[in-house]
Amino acid sequence: MSDGPLTLTINGKPQQFERVPDAERLLDTLRWRAGLKGTKEGCRTGGCGACTVLVNGEPTLSCLVLSHEVSGENVTTIEGVAAEKVGRIVIRAFAEAGAVQCGYCTPGFVVALAGQLQGDGTPPSVASLLDGLEGNLCRCTGYRAIQKAVVAAREALK
Amino acid sequence: MIRSDAEPKARGALEYGTDLEAPGMLWAALVRSPIAHGRIVRMDLSPARKMPGVVAVVGPEDLRTLLPKAALEAERPVFPLDEIRYRGEPVAAVAAETLEQARRAAATIEPEVESLRVDARIEDIFPEWPSPAAAKDPRVVGHVHARFGDVDAKFRSAELVHSETYRTSGVHQVAIEPHACLAEVRNGTFHIRSSTQTPFGLRDDVASILGIPESRLVVEGTWVGGGFGGKGAAFLEPYAVLLAIASGRPVKLSLTFEEEFELGRTTLPSIIRLDTAVHRGRIVARRVRLLLDTGASLPGRDFAVGYSIGFLLGPYRTTAYEIEGFALQTNKPPFGPHRAPFAPQSVFALESHIDGLARRLGVDPIEFRKLHAWREGDRTAYDQPVGPIGLEAGLEAAARTAGEWRAGLPSGHGIGVAAGFWSTGVGAGGEARLWLRPDGLTILEGEREIGNGSVVQGLALVAERVLGLPVEAIRVEYGDTATAPFDSGVFGSRTLGALGQAVEKAARSLANTLATRAGAQTVQLEMKNDRVLVVAGRRRQKLVDLLTPEERAAGGIEAHGKHYGSERKIDASRVVTGTVYPYQDFTAAVHLAEVEVDRETGHVRVVRYAAFQDVGKAVDSASVTGQVEGGVVMGLGTALSEEMLWTPEARLANPGLLDYRLPRIRDVPPIHVEAIEGFAGAGPFGAKGLGEPPIIPVPAAVANAVADATGTRVYELPMTPERVARALKLL
Repeated sequence: MSDGPLTLTINGKPQQFERVPDAERLLDTLRWRAGLKGTKEGCRTGGCGACTVLVNGEPTLSCLVLSHEVSGENVTTIEGVAAEKVGRIVIRAFAEAGAVQCGYCTPGFVVALAGQLQGDGTPPSVASLLDGLEGNLCRCTGYRAIQKAVVAAREALK
Repeated sequence: MIRSDAEPKARGALEYGTDLEAPGMLWAALVRSPIAHGRIVRMDLSPARKMPGVVAVVGPEDLRTLLPKAALEAERPVFPLDEIRYRGEPVAAVAAETLEQARRAAATIEPEVESLRVDARIEDIFPEWPSPAAAKDPRVVGHVHARFGDVDAKFRSAELVHSETYRTSGVHQVAIEPHACLAEVRNGTFHIRSSTQTPFGLRDDVASILGIPESRLVVEGTWVGGGFGGKGAAFLEPYAVLLAIASGRPVKLSLTFEEEFELGRTTLPSIIRLDTAVHRGRIVARRVRLLLDTGASLPGRDFAVGYSIGFLLGPYRTTAYEIEGFALQTNKPPFGPHRAPFAPQSVFALESHIDGLARRLGVDPIEFRKLHAWREGDRTAYDQPVGPIGLEAGLEAAARTAGEWRAGLPSGHGIGVAAGFWSTGVGAGGEARLWLRPDGLTILEGEREIGNGSVVQGLALVAERVLGLPVEAIRVEYGDTATAPFDSGVFGSRTLGALGQAVEKAARSLANTLATRAGAQTVQLEMKNDRVLVVAGRRRQKLVDLLTPEERAAGGIEAHGKHYGSERKIDASRVVTGTVYPYQDFTAAVHLAEVEVDRETGHVRVVRYAAFQDVGKAVDSASVTGQVEGGVVMGLGTALSEEMLWTPEARLANPGLLDYRLPRIRDVPPIHVEAIEGFAGAGPFGAKGLGEPPIIPVPAAVANAVADATGTRVYELPMTPERVARALKLL
């Protein structure tokens, strides 16, 4: 690690950033250097899930990762997720289920769910998908509509 | 029907307060007081000014220089003028090229302070229940006392008196988006962009706090990542404005979550005493006493007590009562609104009390409530007529469901009911402008959607119903306070009920104008090939053909709608001291909870839930469900896990999500939502606001279910495993 250049593959495109401080978090690199503000800033302590991105396909809290730690890795943000089939299906399912109110937590939920639904084969069980969303907080919907969206997105991908 | 903002939000495409950015922008950080009560002896800002990247530092001494002509507000000082009133109170602010630089510089400012005695809890002020003379204590910053009827005589002659004391805790709104704003000076005018529920209120607030004319301020709202009452009044904006003046550059200020908790203006603890006299099976007299912690007081503390105290009498006919409430100044951050401010706490106490009383009398708790429940035309405690209210209907629906649940109830489970009422803020005024173009309708107004759908969905549906135009052809556009018509903002469950009326009036005026021109009694609009058609009887014509040459040149026809509420009267002779507040539009909620209580750990699991919500008339059933489910789950947090914990030095011990537990996706039970219609409210088509009511009965319903399951009552919120275990004598 160094207070130096950083290379990340963001949504499939390699990107170079100059003079990135050692302590900079992935969340801030994505939002303020790459200009991808769909990844939301919530608690910055790993407690809310609003900043969830995929690192090499794995749902990851970008507020808890230093950018240099993931140098050279593949990072997919909500903007990237939304451009792909699974993401589009998940987004549609959230909208149709009424699972979006203030919408601030939604990109984090979408990424966390899409990350679990990617890949071939049978999707994980609903219970397992919900377990994967335990780290995502929503204060508006009471989660019932999100649960419906999870079921609907899973059905659509089966 | 899919909300127009749903997919853009889910894709992360919309701009919230935290996303704000401007060319040449600086980042700001606050310097916060290290003690809860005291004075600043000396504060040296110069080391911070020399730190890398720092462009501006402002402290108490700089206000005069930055705003030479301003008459700063004394009640809400930007920086402490004399005393530091709570831990974390901002004492200075820094702007730098990066956020990291701003925070590092802020950390170098270490004010030399002199500590004063800290009042951290209500008990620090009143170890015993206060006598009437206690109102003279300078820490009593609000006092309300009202009475009616011969209370003493009724208590003396009663067959039974039920007396209890309840305690409630501080809870935080915890919007997932932290507070954030951006301020800049353009040609001598201060422009503020902020994640706010109330752009116009924010403008007036900042003007008042900084002592500058409203005409020099323009506020533009962003999308709001959750409000729940916490994003109303001015909070960060005055600091951002001062730094923008000092630096000559745009300044962004947002809070960390630790700051959210430590500075949050939210619900604070209370102690509630309830005494109820019963004669021949009916309540004949009530005494209600409230000690409410209002923290470092702000204007509005009288309201906190004067409004809340009515909810302790509940939606029940009252023949004789005495109520007394004290707002107490402690060294916590100021009390502030949090979704139905203090009502879930009041109703927890009252509905636990009523439930326990019914059980003591051997009467079914729902039947006992029905005996006393308000019906339209009854009088409130302050002699205001009760409007249409679906309370009895809600109780009857709840009784049916409770009967079904009771039939197959496993042992160890319990069922609880609770009722609540609310008055939605339809009196707060607002205006809307409608712009009908040949290709659709635009609603122009001043505040952004905060999440519940009342703006993007509610207002569009009102216009749809009046004009017949499909909602897809209706767009809501947001102006800033310089361009949009005035509106009071999103609070008090008022948006649909109040601003909706302004939209309804504007839409009717459009329809009338077009009807006159078409030579018809009424017209409806429809869309064909993306063009607006005006339908009068069997005749259809293009909108364009009904426009005047001026309107055609301007591109459409405009209509303006206004709604300003009428004043509600109460019988002031019943008020001995202080101010109580009339209600505006009555609404009710009746909830049922089934719980399972772990007899070893005290853990309460909510097995299923049902909410019967008086909606007047549902404008959008999906939004009704969304509001009720969201309110119920937020209420489950208040009931079971959410609690701000302060040390004896008034330091918040759990300022973060790891120690302040919100409900999570696996915690929520199935929730049956039933809209009660037929009791018309003041809103369009008889609609009633429902942002706040669904949270109100939740803690009480859960508490009553715990009592039903265990035979033991829990007298304090939240009902954590520890408190339940203590009540069950497991600890």
